[in-house]
Amino acid sequence: MAKAIEIKRFSYKYPDGTIALSDINLSIEEKQKVVLIGPNGAGKSTLMLAMAGFAKGEGEIIVNGLKVEKKNLKKIRTVIGCCFENPDDQLFMPTLFDDVAFGPLNMGFNTEQVKIRVAQALRTVGMEAMAEKAPHHLSAGQKRAAAIATVLSMSPDIIALDEPDGSLDPRNREKLVALLKNLPQTLIIATCNMNFAAAIGDRAVLVDKGRIIADGEAKEIMFDTKLMAEYGLEMPAMVNDTSEL
Amino acid sequence: MHHAHIDKFAYQDSPVHRLDARVKFIAAVIFTAVVISLPRTSFAILFCYAIGPFVILVLGRIPLKFVFKHILLVSPFVLILALSCPLYDKTPVKIAFGPSVFQTTVGWERCCTICGKFVVTMLALIALVSTTRFSNLLAGLGKLGVPKLLIIQLGFLYRYIFVLIDTAQHILRARTGRTFRNLGVKQEMKIASAMLGSLFIRSIDTAERINIAMHGRGFNGNWRTISRLKISNNDYIFGVLFSVFVISLYFFAVPVLN
Repeated sequence: MAKAIEIKRFSYKYPDGTIALSDINLSIEEKQKVVLIGPNGAGKSTLMLAMAGFAKGEGEIIVNGLKVEKKNLKKIRTVIGCCFENPDDQLFMPTLFDDVAFGPLNMGFNTEQVKIRVAQALRTVGMEAMAEKAPHHLSAGQKRAAAIATVLSMSPDIIALDEPDGSLDPRNREKLVALLKNLPQTLIIATCNMNFAAAIGDRAVLVDKGRIIADGEAKEIMFDTKLMAEYGLEMPAMVNDTSEL
Repeated sequence: MHHAHIDKFAYQDSPVHRLDARVKFIAAVIFTAVVISLPRTSFAILFCYAIGPFVILVLGRIPLKFVFKHILLVSPFVLILALSCPLYDKTPVKIAFGPSVFQTTVGWERCCTICGKFVVTMLALIALVSTTRFSNLLAGLGKLGVPKLLIIQLGFLYRYIFVLIDTAQHILRARTGRTFRNLGVKQEMKIASAMLGSLFIRSIDTAERINIAMHGRGFNGNWRTISRLKISNNDYIFGVLFSVFVISLYFFAVPVLN
């Protein structure tokens, strides 16, 4: 299988000198659903930012065959769609339609193509009737789904989601799991919620203190009692049944 | 958290709501300019002008309680200005209002006119924002040639003012939950400045994250949107009715009433 993302010896320091990521080596294949797990402050979000070229460090990151560097950033950001932790940061336009259309318009699609993409993305997340709503009129679950639609409308090959389950009630989390499981793209999800991670991920990458601690099949990693306890993570209650997430 | 949105009725559907944002905006601007330019002695005609926005509000099914609540909210700023008039102009003047004639001063007459003009123009403004979605208003302003940068700033202001209010309320609640005695003015000021500082830093963090989200979706400095505004026959009819109402009152009623 072709590589969606390849990270070689990547390290990143915050401007104050704190090491955020250290010697990261990671290879993600196309169509894989990878969950980045780890305690708070482990470096999961920074790793996702680095993949999209928002955190420039030492080492090499290759996304769909393109090296993450200034000249390739425009192309890379059409390949990897990032959805950040707080949907209020993602939904910055006056209406949901404008928000979902923002990416395709910047990609250079014409008005008709943009309208089709917006309609498709909103249909996928079940929000086609809310296109004209202002983001501040949406509930937390709707905002989360809308934030995903802003990325889907760009049809990226890779979707990176940072804590997509944060502040969601069980019903909305269940809907989100169903939505994400059916997406055909390569998925990279950073989360602290092991039930959520187990319901979606084929593969789990455990990150702590900016280093990759474990990488392997999701069930294998998340059911390793010793490993989970050592890094302050809980074991998932169930893996296949999403109704009790 | 729930906020008192000024445009909370803008998502309703009525013939007024369906009018194009540009037409309503231009009408509101002309109406305001005409009302402001009325002479101070034309208090009675202000009542006639008030009929216009009043009809719009009724047709748009905007509750009058909501309208007057918002007028009251803004009124202190105008009342300070209006109530200062009687203090510096005490020239006696007679005012005829129907069959009654009142003896008062120019200052009081000016005060009443300012208050009257304020209420009528506020009615028009509330009629505009209560029957027009803010996004359509921004799109309309863009089409009317208002600089793009200003439109973007207004869009962000409207989008994030509620997020900022929420954050401020969370900080205030956290402070209240841990305050058990009167701390005195000096200490309170110190706490307030720390809270403002925290709010400021959070706003900068939010702005940085929004900037990343924008660049993540291909933003390169060019602001692109799709306009969905369309002028229909109803807009032309509204334009004609509005023009007849404003012009006929101004050119026929003003000389008669004065």
